[in-house]
Amino acid sequence: MEGKGKGYTTTIEGLKELFEELKKDYKVIAPTLKDGVILYKEVGSFENIAFGYRNTEAPGFYSLEKAEGYFTYTHPANSPKSFLHPPELTLIKAKASQEGLVFEEVYPEDKMCLFDLRACDLWAIKILDRVFLEDPYYQRLRSNLFLVAVECTYATLTCFCKTMEKGPVPKEGYDLLITELEGRFLIRAGSKKGEELLVSLKTKREAKKEDFEEREKKIRALEEAMESFFNIREVPQKLYSRMDSSYWEPVEKRCLACTSCTQVCPTCFCFDILEKNTIDLRESERVRVWDSCFSPSFATVHRFNLRQSIHSRYRQWLMHKFAYWIDQFDTFGCVGCGRCITWCPVGIDIRQEVKRIAG
Amino acid sequence: MLVKNPYLLKAGRVEKVIKECEGIYTFHIATEESAVFGQYNMLYAFGKGEAPITIASKGENYVVHTVRAVGDVTKHIDSLKEGDLLYWRGPYGNRWDLERAYGKTLLIISGGLGLAATRWVFEEAQKSPVKRLIHLYGAKDYDSLLYRYLYKDWNNRADFRIVLSNPHPQWKGKVSLITNLLKELDLEKDTIVFMCGPDPMVKACIPLLKEKGIDEDSVYASLERHMKCSVGTCGHCMIGPYFVCKDGPIFRYDLIKEYFERKEV
Repeated sequence: MEGKGKGYTTTIEGLKELFEELKKDYKVIAPTLKDGVILYKEVGSFENIAFGYRNTEAPGFYSLEKAEGYFTYTHPANSPKSFLHPPELTLIKAKASQEGLVFEEVYPEDKMCLFDLRACDLWAIKILDRVFLEDPYYQRLRSNLFLVAVECTYATLTCFCKTMEKGPVPKEGYDLLITELEGRFLIRAGSKKGEELLVSLKTKREAKKEDFEEREKKIRALEEAMESFFNIREVPQKLYSRMDSSYWEPVEKRCLACTSCTQVCPTCFCFDILEKNTIDLRESERVRVWDSCFSPSFATVHRFNLRQSIHSRYRQWLMHKFAYWIDQFDTFGCVGCGRCITWCPVGIDIRQEVKRIAG
Repeated sequence: MLVKNPYLLKAGRVEKVIKECEGIYTFHIATEESAVFGQYNMLYAFGKGEAPITIASKGENYVVHTVRAVGDVTKHIDSLKEGDLLYWRGPYGNRWDLERAYGKTLLIISGGLGLAATRWVFEEAQKSPVKRLIHLYGAKDYDSLLYRYLYKDWNNRADFRIVLSNPHPQWKGKVSLITNLLKELDLEKDTIVFMCGPDPMVKACIPLLKEKGIDEDSVYASLERHMKCSVGTCGHCMIGPYFVCKDGPIFRYDLIKEYFERKEV
């Protein structure tokens, strides 16, 4: 179902009712305001959602201001990855006993609702689904997930979902889809469980032709306003033909290898497994933690780092996103959310680098 | 949707410990698990971590691993005694394409501990319809030679040649580089080559093989990269679009050449 069929309109009170309903069954994760940044976090009350803020983003720049309306921002600084592939997750617990080691599988049991998910992040989940297809930890969290998507009516300077053909309109994969109209919200279902919840809402009326027309106008205006930076179809082959370091060396002096881009990226999945031991060494946990291809230990074999130079790590990252990923998972590893551009301390713009190297 | 947990560990009793040389031990671990030549297991050391170790050989109810003590995990494994339990998961990875060498010459080139990764397929090749079987093994020192107790048997069944980088009073054989040994060989154009050794050794052998008319698509190399998950999700072992842990560790050379020969890929 593409959400094109029957829809309803509701008010902010209706959304609150929806939120309260979701809270009965799910741990609700939504955009909140923290330290001057919008972040996905578990929210206790509807009032804690960061409604009415507008984010301004540019390479290495982020600011917030008050705005008229509710879903006036784009996406939070962190992504659904933080919840589906948590930065730190215990996989196995091992205990020493007389008879040897005893192992216990530890599974996250959270039932989560991601409230206010944009087209880019919806796609990022679809990509992670492929990466972690056979990962029981991810699959547990994923199978219990309820997704409330919201259509963007605004893009920042770092947004490029249109170039990556991932947005701005969420196409599929959501349970409910919300579009903010003048003084009301259009809600449509994209799944059976979304439909059931929507039908049970008290505060709603059936959407009329005018509601859909107003939505169409808003979405088209955004689509038209967004720039197309490059043609993604040509990028993978061009990159494969430009692996020589001369193409990548210009990044060497700028990139700090700080790993910020890989942390905010909604699809960067690389991880390390560490041992967390009790002080008496009777128990040990095998803990999965985020890792980054920018870290010097990442490609180290026998104390030798195969990627010594920073530009070779940048090549690994960008080639993975725009070329290798397609061979591995039949999709780009980039959704065009632009987080890596905003949160790069030196403002390296991946769009410009792709244009320069694959241009 | 229930997915099998790839991180679950199995226990196996250490049945036999053989000291190969200083800091390198071979273990026979009891197991009923099936595996094929070329694959590896992740061996676990409690509180220390895991290390990917190639399956050096396999008996009916045991698997053979040769481990050099270099890090915390391998140091722990090398301290195991007969009767101790070893925890592991696997097997992972692909196998040597031995069938391609049927009716042809099979050349195996092993450098250092790389012999552990070629031993099993070498033993199997001895029993297979390979026309001619040659194995070149290069080691640094006399004291670092592995599997000395098998040489007599191997010499009877195949053309097994050893070269050492450094001389030793007890060593009567060649002191040279494995590439020099390779240069002296007369090889048919349709020879199939299996290699495992340090990256520079593999890289140095390729042009020599080419001179003999052996194409890169007849050459297979088993690679070593940083691995954590073994199932293609942690990202450490990537070489170009390949995950060495699950697409490898063995690659037909022409497929990885572009990434393997280029610096820092």
